[in-house]
Amino acid sequence: MAEHTIQRPALPKKPFNPTSVWLSGWLALIWFIIVDLELSFETLLYGVQDIFEYFSRYSRPNFEDISRYIELLVQTLATALWGSTLAIVLAVLLAPFAARNLSPNAATYRIARELLNFMRAMPDLLLALIFVAALGLGPLPGALALGLHTAGFLGKFFAESLERVDNGIYEAVTATGASRIQLVMYAGWPSIQREALGYMLYIFDRNVRMAAVLGLVGAGGIGLALHDTLRMFNYDQSAALIVVILATILTIDYLSTWIRGKLN
Amino acid sequence: MAQIIIKDIVKRYDHDFKALKGVSAEIAAGSFTVILGPSGAGKSTLLRSINGLETPTNGTIQIGEHIVTKDNLRQVRSQVGMVFQHFNLVDRLSVMTNVLTGRLSHRSWLGSLLYLFRRTDLDLAHDALIRVGLTDKAWSRADKLSGGQQQRVGIARALAQQPRVILADEPVASLDPVASEEIMGLLREICTRDGITVVVNLHHVELARRFADRIIGLNEGLVVYDGPVSGLDRATLSRIYNRNGEQVDEQLESMLAYA
Amino acid sequence: MNNSNLCWPTPSGRPGLVPTLVLIISILLLAISAPAVELDLSRIVSAIPRMIDFTGNLLVMPEWSYLPSLGKNILQTIEMTFLATSIALVISLPLGVLAAKNTSPHPAVFHVTRNALCLMRALPELVWALVFVSAVGLGPLPGIMALSFVTVGFMGKFFAESIEVVDQRQVEGVVAQGASWLQLRTFAHFPQAFPDFVGTVMYVLDHNLRAAAILGLVGAGGIGYDLVMAMRMFDYGRLLPIALSIYLVVTLLDRASDHFRMRMI
Repeated sequence: MAEHTIQRPALPKKPFNPTSVWLSGWLALIWFIIVDLELSFETLLYGVQDIFEYFSRYSRPNFEDISRYIELLVQTLATALWGSTLAIVLAVLLAPFAARNLSPNAATYRIARELLNFMRAMPDLLLALIFVAALGLGPLPGALALGLHTAGFLGKFFAESLERVDNGIYEAVTATGASRIQLVMYAGWPSIQREALGYMLYIFDRNVRMAAVLGLVGAGGIGLALHDTLRMFNYDQSAALIVVILATILTIDYLSTWIRGKLN
Repeated sequence: MAQIIIKDIVKRYDHDFKALKGVSAEIAAGSFTVILGPSGAGKSTLLRSINGLETPTNGTIQIGEHIVTKDNLRQVRSQVGMVFQHFNLVDRLSVMTNVLTGRLSHRSWLGSLLYLFRRTDLDLAHDALIRVGLTDKAWSRADKLSGGQQQRVGIARALAQQPRVILADEPVASLDPVASEEIMGLLREICTRDGITVVVNLHHVELARRFADRIIGLNEGLVVYDGPVSGLDRATLSRIYNRNGEQVDEQLESMLAYA
Repeated sequence: MNNSNLCWPTPSGRPGLVPTLVLIISILLLAISAPAVELDLSRIVSAIPRMIDFTGNLLVMPEWSYLPSLGKNILQTIEMTFLATSIALVISLPLGVLAAKNTSPHPAVFHVTRNALCLMRALPELVWALVFVSAVGLGPLPGIMALSFVTVGFMGKFFAESIEVVDQRQVEGVVAQGASWLQLRTFAHFPQAFPDFVGTVMYVLDHNLRAAAILGLVGAGGIGYDLVMAMRMFDYGRLLPIALSIYLVVTLLDRASDHFRMRMI
């Protein structure tokens, strides 16, 4: 090494970078989970090898029952539509109470928030099961379950948007002597129009997917048909069903993106 | 049309910070009063206490025959219009609907839920828009207007309430000089013609001199001047704008240019 | 109050075109679909006493001996969520780069990746879980596969969108230093999109936990199976504990991610 070393003033001590700690913690956790769940790579590998063969069984979709599929599809869409409508109604009623700057008092705010959280936390499937037990089989309990569950999401989204509105606007309408309901109608909802519509489209989208699946618990829709065909190893019909479901969801997705584009 | 009596207002925030330390004043009905003072003097707090947007820790405010309490806020506010520094219009609604929000205190909750108004309400709103000269923008969305135009909508909204008092919290602080002239002129004209009591917070001394009948000087939460515009001499201004007891004679002129 | 006196705040006094159309179309759609959804108010009303009964039955002594098994299944659900999300994260990062217009190596790659991601998230997790159970058998493995698969679809899309909105000027700064293709993406695009990434991961974790809780329905692991069985057999001693623990875990994650989000900002 060189004899002449330049004296440099020392750099301040480098702050501790926790990234390596987080990273090793994460990897350790993953390893632990793999062991705990007894996941074996063998099964996965065999499974993956098999998967190509397995997926090839779906390559000849059989559309002969298509009219029944369409009927079920309509039922699924209807379930999603009514479920979303129920969710919108509930969310519109609850959200102003769950917005800190619009709620009449702290207690109402807490209760409304907790209620929305509860509705969100309960899996829609559980709600569907309960409603099927109470109302019998069919799409109606499915719609109710979807409505209640997604109302929780929508209510929270609405409430958070309402909270983000410039407080000055709320003050201005309050200063005219308006009541709380008027404040919400004239300063709250108009200010979050665009976001609100975006949220509503999002949950309709989500409800179409869930409605497709709720049939598995007897809540109507195309999910039950798929479950049956798969159980009977009827791959051709399963393939057809999957294509139908896929086509519908993609169309709804496309439509809602189009609508969202129109909004901007 | 309504006299405002402010008695011993104290406003304390947490950490024992007192924004207002005992302010009293009597504002004559139909007068044009300007509150002057440096930032942090408590002008906003005082003004907003009048219509209950701030609740004083101590003291009372009386407007006309009503003492402002937490139970009659809606009633008081229906008679007190307010104009804000940042206009505070509902962006997505039309100018007309924004002005109509001034009529909300007179509408039933059911009707207003459906955005229904009486013909008389629309006529009042229309008149207000004529007064501020914005009828051609009645159906435009509020956020498509310039700053000066938006503030005029704010004034129209206050007018639509048919108020006895109009409060203006730094109404021209966000506007250019030309628009500021317009707005102050409008407020003065409303005061003179309709006899509405107008109270304005300003930090521009020149505008205060030209438009006010009476000045209330506030500094660090206390009234340091309460009298006619003619009394605004250097000594007074120095008292209003001094900070921490320092005299600011030499830089007063340049300081007031930025006040 | 005279009705002919009332009007809307529009030039004509009648409500605006758009709100009216939206209202009419919505009512029409709902009316048309009502029979398809078997809408029947009397059915709902007559079910209310049954619902009240049910809630009453829920408040029964929990089956204490079941609790360890419950804990194990809940833990399994959490583990599935975490693992699936982690796997999806690792895969989504490079895919997100390929699916973003400003970082994709070639327009063809961009379009193919974007569409692939779209297809991956089109079907709900449960459908894939059905398929994978059919392929590899019962247990948490098919559940994890299904979750990962769909999650890659979502995360890949969100990541790509975050990358597309980075500040071009910061990118130019690094380009000017002569960075390679990979270096550019690592040092210019990734750091800017990182906060959004974190937000996306939090959201996905939340979503996946709820999804994982029901995958057991089709035998793909987690608490779902116990839940459905308890419901079907009206096993009230288990229902409340199961529902409560799902609620607790989901809520905990919710609060934790809110906290985490606050600290990140």
